[in-house]
Amino acid sequence: MSAQFTEDGAPGPDTPPAFQAVDAHAAYDGVTVLDGVSLDVPVGQTMAVLGPNGSGKSTLMRAMLGVVPLTSGRILLHGTPLRRFRDWKRIGYVPQRLTAGGAVPATVREIVASGQVARRRRLSLPTRADRAAVDEALAAVDLSDRAGDAVRELSGGQQQRVLIARALAGRPDTFVMDEPMAGVDAKNQRALARAIARLRDQGSTVVLVLHELGPLEEVIERAVVLEHGRVVHDGPAPAATGECARPGHEHQHPHPDPNDPDPSSTHGAAPAEMVRLEVPRRD
Amino acid sequence: MTELLQYEFMRRALLAAVLVGLVTPIIGTFLVQRRLALLGDGIGHIALTGVALGLLTSTSPVLTAAVVATLGAILMELVRVRTRTSGDVALALLFYGGIAGGVLLIGITPGASNATLTSFLFGSVSTVGEQDIWIVGVLAVGVVAVLAVFGRELFVLCQDEEVARAHGLPVRFLSILLAVTAALTVVIAMRVVGVLMVSALMIVPVAAAQQLSRSFRVTMGLAVLIGLVSSLGGLTTAFYSDLAPGATIVLLALAVFCLAVLLGGVLRRVTKRRTPAPQHPVAGGPADTMPQTDRGRVTP
Repeated sequence: MSAQFTEDGAPGPDTPPAFQAVDAHAAYDGVTVLDGVSLDVPVGQTMAVLGPNGSGKSTLMRAMLGVVPLTSGRILLHGTPLRRFRDWKRIGYVPQRLTAGGAVPATVREIVASGQVARRRRLSLPTRADRAAVDEALAAVDLSDRAGDAVRELSGGQQQRVLIARALAGRPDTFVMDEPMAGVDAKNQRALARAIARLRDQGSTVVLVLHELGPLEEVIERAVVLEHGRVVHDGPAPAATGECARPGHEHQHPHPDPNDPDPSSTHGAAPAEMVRLEVPRRD
Repeated sequence: MTELLQYEFMRRALLAAVLVGLVTPIIGTFLVQRRLALLGDGIGHIALTGVALGLLTSTSPVLTAAVVATLGAILMELVRVRTRTSGDVALALLFYGGIAGGVLLIGITPGASNATLTSFLFGSVSTVGEQDIWIVGVLAVGVVAVLAVFGRELFVLCQDEEVARAHGLPVRFLSILLAVTAALTVVIAMRVVGVLMVSALMIVPVAAAQQLSRSFRVTMGLAVLIGLVSSLGGLTTAFYSDLAPGATIVLLALAVFCLAVLLGGVLRRVTKRRTPAPQHPVAGGPADTMPQTDRGRVTP
């Protein structure tokens, strides 16, 4: 653990924020995607980034990790400017999906173990601790029994869990997850919510891009809403308005799992209880 | 078999074939993973210009080919990154520039003929000299060393470049490293199968191996085995049946591929019968999160 933490594991008063964006601007082919985003994410916070399609949520996540360059502004990771940041083993990133790249088959275990690339030395064989971390990560997403299977034989939701396990395997303390719930059925969504709650309880910083809070509602401490590349809301999770029947609603919340014995726990039973962000489509 | 080893030139040829069969599928696995299967082809074309430069200046063609192919690989990688939209066209320009330059330079080299050109286009393993073997050997050790040191990072890079960036990996350096390693591999394989078929030894064994495997490591191991069997088997067959060695090696690798496709189909049918269907088909999930099951089956 970092020296910046006090003995009980809580961040000390001098601990810099896990993420800091200062007037961040970014553009794709001349089109502004981030238009002056300033944001601090303190260590240990679980924060959701919400907003309609094209609002710049994913770009903000990628910019915070240096995947997308800024046109102006600054990003600091744990107090260090991105360019000079070297402590990458503290960062766990869950991309939006298993990208189609990688035409050669790979097992679930191989993909998950590759999440340790930032903390393993070159030319070293995996230590017992490395292997244990992979086992734990697989267990955390309930995929231990699929470790030897080819990733592409899994369903979309299972592949999403593989990506989360890959981020866990490096034992980072700072997570960025880009729509981890997309394409995941209700039962798996609840399992993921529990895994994220455990990360929070361990004192990890977790930043998630979400389309709606869904089963994560209780885990999220703070919500930032982006629109047109600007922060339009920053605070507690916004109250729900609208409903999924609206024509403009992005239909991505879970459907009842056919194998789920308790379908009332998901969509449709108690709309008032589910915080659902109104998502007007702009594209 | 002993008859084969009586000849000095055959001993050198067999050694070259072993090195080629061993090294090309390793780098090929990364290239296929990264969907750059044709990169080897492009570098092969450029290497021809290097060969011609060597002949023209009376230096070792293998050495000049290594230099020119390396420069070409770096250039291609830069072109690929800089011009996102017309990348393949830009690469094609480089390919044709490479082969045209090679043909032109060989044409003005005194003493070089069409036979010289053909020997580099399609391979001439029986004319591999003592010096060639040394250069090829050193290059092979270098390629294997690079992949041993950077293999883990290259795996992440080839799997998902964005994730590699988010891990803080030096993506541009690794991309160029992979391209240069591929270039050196092309030069190693060039003497055995020729610049026009060099890519076949990188890609075909990997394509065959992935029919039979679900893991990256196993795919690579199987590909090396298939590469060795093809290059040694092809060379031996060519010796006894008086066939063109390069072409025999490539056709043998393709035959193994066909066999692997058939065997893979049978294997999958057997395992499917044993394991139940996937439990949670994603209802209404976005298309891009669906499983990527298409492995290019040939069964109807």
